[in-house]
Amino acid sequence: MNETHPECCECTPLPSTPMDTPLRNVLDRISGFATPWRRQSGPAPRGRRIFHRDVERQDHQFQYGTAHCLSSYYSVFVARLAIMVMLAILIGLLTILTWHFTRIYTTKSLNSLAYGLRNELLQRPISRMWNIINSTTEITTAQLKLSEYVFRRYNKPATQAEQVEQLYEVMRDITWALFASRKALNAITINYKNGFVQAFHRDHRSNNTFYIYSDLTNYSISAGGSNEINLLSSHQSWKDQSIHGNISAIWYQEPLDPVTGEKIGKAKPIPPDDLIKIAGLSQVPDGVASWHVAVSKYTDSPLLSAALPVWDPSNESIVAVVGVTTALYSVGQLMKELVEVHSGHIYLTSKEGYLLATSTNAPLLTNTTKGPKLMMAVDSEEKVIKMGARWLQGAYGNNFSQRHEIHAENARLGQEQYFIDSFFLKLKRLPLVGVIIIPRKNIMGKVDERAFKTLVILISASLCILFIGCICIFILTNGVSKEMKLRAELISHLDARRRAEASSNYKSQFLANMSHELRTPMAAVIGLLDILISDDCLTNEQFSTVTQIRKCSTALLRLLNNILDLSKVESGKLVLEETEFDLGRELEGLVDMFSVQCINHNVETVLDLSDNMPKIVRGDSARVVQIFANLISNSLKFTTSGHIIIRGWCENSNSSFDIGKFPLNQKKSRPAHKTKLKEQGSHTKKACKQDNRMTLRFEVDDTGCGIDPSKWESVFESFEQADPSTTRTHGGTGLGLCIVRTLVNKMGGEIKVAKKDGPGTLMQLYLLLTTPVDGTEQHCQVDFSKQNLVVLLALRGRMGRLIMSQWLHKIGLFTVEASEWNELTQILRELFRIRSSVYNNGFDAQFSLSEPLSTKVMNIKDMRNPAFIILVDIGLLDLSTDIWKEQLNFLDSYFGKARFAWMLSHDTPNAIKMELRRKGHMLMVNMPLYKEKMIHILEAVIKERNLEGQKKSSNTLRTTKEGDLHEYLEIDATQFDVASSDDSDISEIGSSNSVSGSQTGEKRRERLRKPGSSGYQAINNCLVELTRVYSEENYSTERDPCHVRLNSHDVQNEEPKCCTRASLSSEAQSESSEQHLVISCPTAQGNIYSSKAANEQKSLEGVRILLAEDNPVLQRVASIMLEKLGATVFAVGDGLQAVDALNCILGAEDCIRESIFEDRNTRTQTEIKDFPSYDLILMDCQMPKMDGYEATEIIRKSEAGTGLHIPIVALTAHAMSSDEAKCLEVGMDAYLTKPIDYKLMVSTILSLTKRTA
Amino acid sequence: MDGVAQLQKQLVDFTDSLFQEGFLDEQFNQLQQLQDESNPDFVVEVVSLFFEDSERLLNELAKALEQKTIDFRKVDAHVHQFKGSSSSIGAQRVQKVCIAFRNYCEEQNIEGCLKCLQQVKLEYSLVKNKLETLFKIEKQLIAAGGSIPT
Repeated sequence: MNETHPECCECTPLPSTPMDTPLRNVLDRISGFATPWRRQSGPAPRGRRIFHRDVERQDHQFQYGTAHCLSSYYSVFVARLAIMVMLAILIGLLTILTWHFTRIYTTKSLNSLAYGLRNELLQRPISRMWNIINSTTEITTAQLKLSEYVFRRYNKPATQAEQVEQLYEVMRDITWALFASRKALNAITINYKNGFVQAFHRDHRSNNTFYIYSDLTNYSISAGGSNEINLLSSHQSWKDQSIHGNISAIWYQEPLDPVTGEKIGKAKPIPPDDLIKIAGLSQVPDGVASWHVAVSKYTDSPLLSAALPVWDPSNESIVAVVGVTTALYSVGQLMKELVEVHSGHIYLTSKEGYLLATSTNAPLLTNTTKGPKLMMAVDSEEKVIKMGARWLQGAYGNNFSQRHEIHAENARLGQEQYFIDSFFLKLKRLPLVGVIIIPRKNIMGKVDERAFKTLVILISASLCILFIGCICIFILTNGVSKEMKLRAELISHLDARRRAEASSNYKSQFLANMSHELRTPMAAVIGLLDILISDDCLTNEQFSTVTQIRKCSTALLRLLNNILDLSKVESGKLVLEETEFDLGRELEGLVDMFSVQCINHNVETVLDLSDNMPKIVRGDSARVVQIFANLISNSLKFTTSGHIIIRGWCENSNSSFDIGKFPLNQKKSRPAHKTKLKEQGSHTKKACKQDNRMTLRFEVDDTGCGIDPSKWESVFESFEQADPSTTRTHGGTGLGLCIVRTLVNKMGGEIKVAKKDGPGTLMQLYLLLTTPVDGTEQHCQVDFSKQNLVVLLALRGRMGRLIMSQWLHKIGLFTVEASEWNELTQILRELFRIRSSVYNNGFDAQFSLSEPLSTKVMNIKDMRNPAFIILVDIGLLDLSTDIWKEQLNFLDSYFGKARFAWMLSHDTPNAIKMELRRKGHMLMVNMPLYKEKMIHILEAVIKERNLEGQKKSSNTLRTTKEGDLHEYLEIDATQFDVASSDDSDISEIGSSNSVSGSQTGEKRRERLRKPGSSGYQAINNCLVELTRVYSEENYSTERDPCHVRLNSHDVQNEEPKCCTRASLSSEAQSESSEQHLVISCPTAQGNIYSSKAANEQKSLEGVRILLAEDNPVLQRVASIMLEKLGATVFAVGDGLQAVDALNCILGAEDCIRESIFEDRNTRTQTEIKDFPSYDLILMDCQMPKMDGYEATEIIRKSEAGTGLHIPIVALTAHAMSSDEAKCLEVGMDAYLTKPIDYKLMVSTILSLTKRTA
Repeated sequence: MDGVAQLQKQLVDFTDSLFQEGFLDEQFNQLQQLQDESNPDFVVEVVSLFFEDSERLLNELAKALEQKTIDFRKVDAHVHQFKGSSSSIGAQRVQKVCIAFRNYCEEQNIEGCLKCLQQVKLEYSLVKNKLETLFKIEKQLIAAGGSIPT
């Protein structure tokens, strides 16, 4: 059993063990089956790899599939599931098949093995049986032969008596010999015909041997005589006799020596058949040998006895019956031995079912009253045998023994399963049935166990594989699905980006349209305001209000444009302009604008720019203004009281300040000076490109609620406010600071909130701006320190006063400060006590000045011939009652001794202004006081003094005129729009009747200024004269001498009444001729234009313009416009024609260029007209065939290398600065929006044609 | 003189109403200002140019929009021209519709375009009528010996 086991197990994985059974074929076939399977499933990694690859391939397909179709994203899950299910099914099938084959194979081989085994098992006891039976047969036959021989020998009737005796003796000896030779024999009996019995008996238990014989006396010796007679009836007689004899006979038992056969004891009589059964005639009824199983009283095992008749020599009658009895004990013994090894049960039954031998010790006989009897197998005391027998009986009926063999494998007996095999032994007259019962466990136990284990292992292994496979698939597909997810995301991102781009396109398109739409109503508002401003019947106050509204509207328009452009900042499309502008002036304008709000807020706005600030910087003025506007409005929003200070200084102090350029004691009039500045600016621009980059630092300091330090960074985020609750109280979107930071960063600067002592916020920023190298000028060109000026600052605002007085100190002026009316009066008294004895009364005793102030006053008193300037804040007067009139009267008393300058606020009642003017106070400035205003005041005072000095007979008119002029200049300064045409317009006042219709608007605007000086009609002429100088000067500087002459002639023609002017203008001419190198610059445009407006029509005289415009209406309008201005217009319908028109003259141009150049000097315009060249091209951007951009590019290309540059001005309906950028990019020089603005067009054309001329 | 004064008043009123109702804008004033002795019929000339051009453009627009596949770029170009010419004579209502028209063009909204075309036609005929009336009054005025008030 133990050998077979491993074999069985091993054969599953590797059926290599050679076998002698036909199973091998089966195995081979199985292994043939199994190999392909194993090849797939056995080496798991390889199988999985194949699988893996399949999956991959599949996944690739999936990838491609899903890349095309995003919606099938879930197919991954389906695929994953499908693969898993497939894997599961595959592995399951594999497992089942493997197990199945294993099991079938094992079972089959085992069964055949077990069958052989059982066969063999049975074979041995059966052969033993055969042996026993054979030996019994042999002995019996030997006994028989011997008996026959003895009988023949002694069958002589003559000597019957002796012979019988001898016969018996011989028989006894022979029988003994036989008996002794066969130890296994139980007994040999001879039953003679006459009833005599001879028997040897061996008791195996006591190991005694007995000789048993019957009493001779009972037998007739003469039996032989009647032998012949009763031959035929011998059977009956024999039988009767024997029965009879047996009953009556006395038997003796003699113990014998088992070896020698000698008598060792006395014979004692025993009843017949007591000890042994003597085989008699009855057992051989038909005269042949017979077999039967007998039971003996003294042995506990059944006995097998054989009986044979002994015939007489004549073969006619039976002489005796020989019987041999053998115990079946040894068979049982053998079975036991066999079973001991194999542990099972073997038993033999007779045909009827009686137990003959078992492998157990259970008794085979039952003791009945009639003596021991054979037992049926079903009644056996051994349980297994009993159950086995019953099972057989139940399964096959009683006649199961008829069948040859029975093999039952799964007989269930009790708790266990058994193999039951029965074999049929065909013995003559004694058929036997052998049954083997072996517990299944013994043979198949381990196999079953292993099979079970194998199954478990297989299942668990396949589960593992399934699990791992699933995980692998999961991971694999997970990766794939992740990738796909990523791809999907990418695609959706791309989609989103595309959409976002589209929407941003829409946005910018929208904004482009919006800019149009927004600007239109604003333009209307501004236009209406202009109309209102030019209305005569406005009061002064209304006028100032309207002017303020106009300024604010302009600011709003600018803001609108900025906001529209800010969307470009965010999309990174913002292009910063690079133009020169006056930073100080812009900021002043800003402060002026905000001061209106400030006054309402009770907040003081102070502009504190250091002197080293460059005047002209290059940059985007609109953006810079926007930065400060946002910062100031932000500060203003959160400041309810206190001040807002805008400080500015230049960090790059190494830049050159050419103070030396200006003589310190320059006595030039202000206008001339101004001209000079302009000249310089333009000069630098033209002359050098060596710009100086400098860092301008600014601080915006307020006393508002402040910002929490943790929010210092976040306030610059979009839609972020330091305190959300402020939205409610202050409004605002939180965009302002974001815009500021964006812009500041764009300009290469930084902005941050800085730490500040005291309440409020301190914003620090710096900007990197370039300045024209020579453009850095000082604010204070005139050295005031030598003028012996004393300034009394009677201002309410503390900070403003402080800063102003510091600055005045710095430039060498004495200042005295006063913050309220009483202080002012006190100082005044103190100052003038000595000088004016009239007022030197006891009043001053009441007041005593503080120590520093009084020393100051004392210092002033020491000064020689000081000039006093008293700056009085209108707020110092008590306006609520009529006291202010008395106060004015009080001040009047000082009128001759000092110059008064009044600080007005925007809400100053008109009555007061009128009163002031009536009293001769002509210096009035609006509220926020900053350096530029202060300088103006000082200059006015100095000039006045100088005039006084020059003309001993100083009339007051002159003085007032000066004052008026300066007040006027003040207003000019506040206007931060460059395009002011004030100076020249004033000239029109004097000659208003000659102004044409197109100029009415401007004329009116000027006229409205008249109320300011309406009371002084008399001085008007002089004023006109003076300003005329200025305008002429301006004018002449911008033009080359020839034109100046020409235009000045025009002026003369226009206004012949003004006889004084001629001389003045010629004076201007001479002055300007010194500066004929100076060429105009864009910043001077306003003045150019104003001059042009003055000469009205023919400003474009002789300019040849090529107009490329496809729209006939526009074409017509534009050409009429231009022609009216004296220009010669050539109109073409598209870009192609424009290029053609240019090309045909270009060749001619080349050859005559030189001559033109020379001719320029001669100034003969007719010559120029002879050549069909163009001075300028007006180019519509959108045209059929070839648009403006394309045409420009071609023109510029053809110009390349020739040194020519025809100015090209774009005409476009789009108003975005990106369009402008595009125009400039392709080589255009300027840009006009449609509908054409008359003035702007003229100024643009002029600036361009002059530049190239 | 009475008739002249009346005519003058009528003209002024009519012109004002044109401005108030938004048919015309500042640009028209500019046009009028450009008119002087050297070209006394400038306004009429330009306006009639505008009429011619507009009718051509309107025809082309109508044609373009009738096509099965509408070339929006072409339509857009036409509208752009129309807008330009209307803005340069100061017919601002036409101009406004043109702006809307162009937006629809960019959206490629056929229905919007068709609607706008109708509107443009309407506005155009309105402004044409008004201007013709205006010129008629002016003519009458001049015929009556009066001068056109500025």
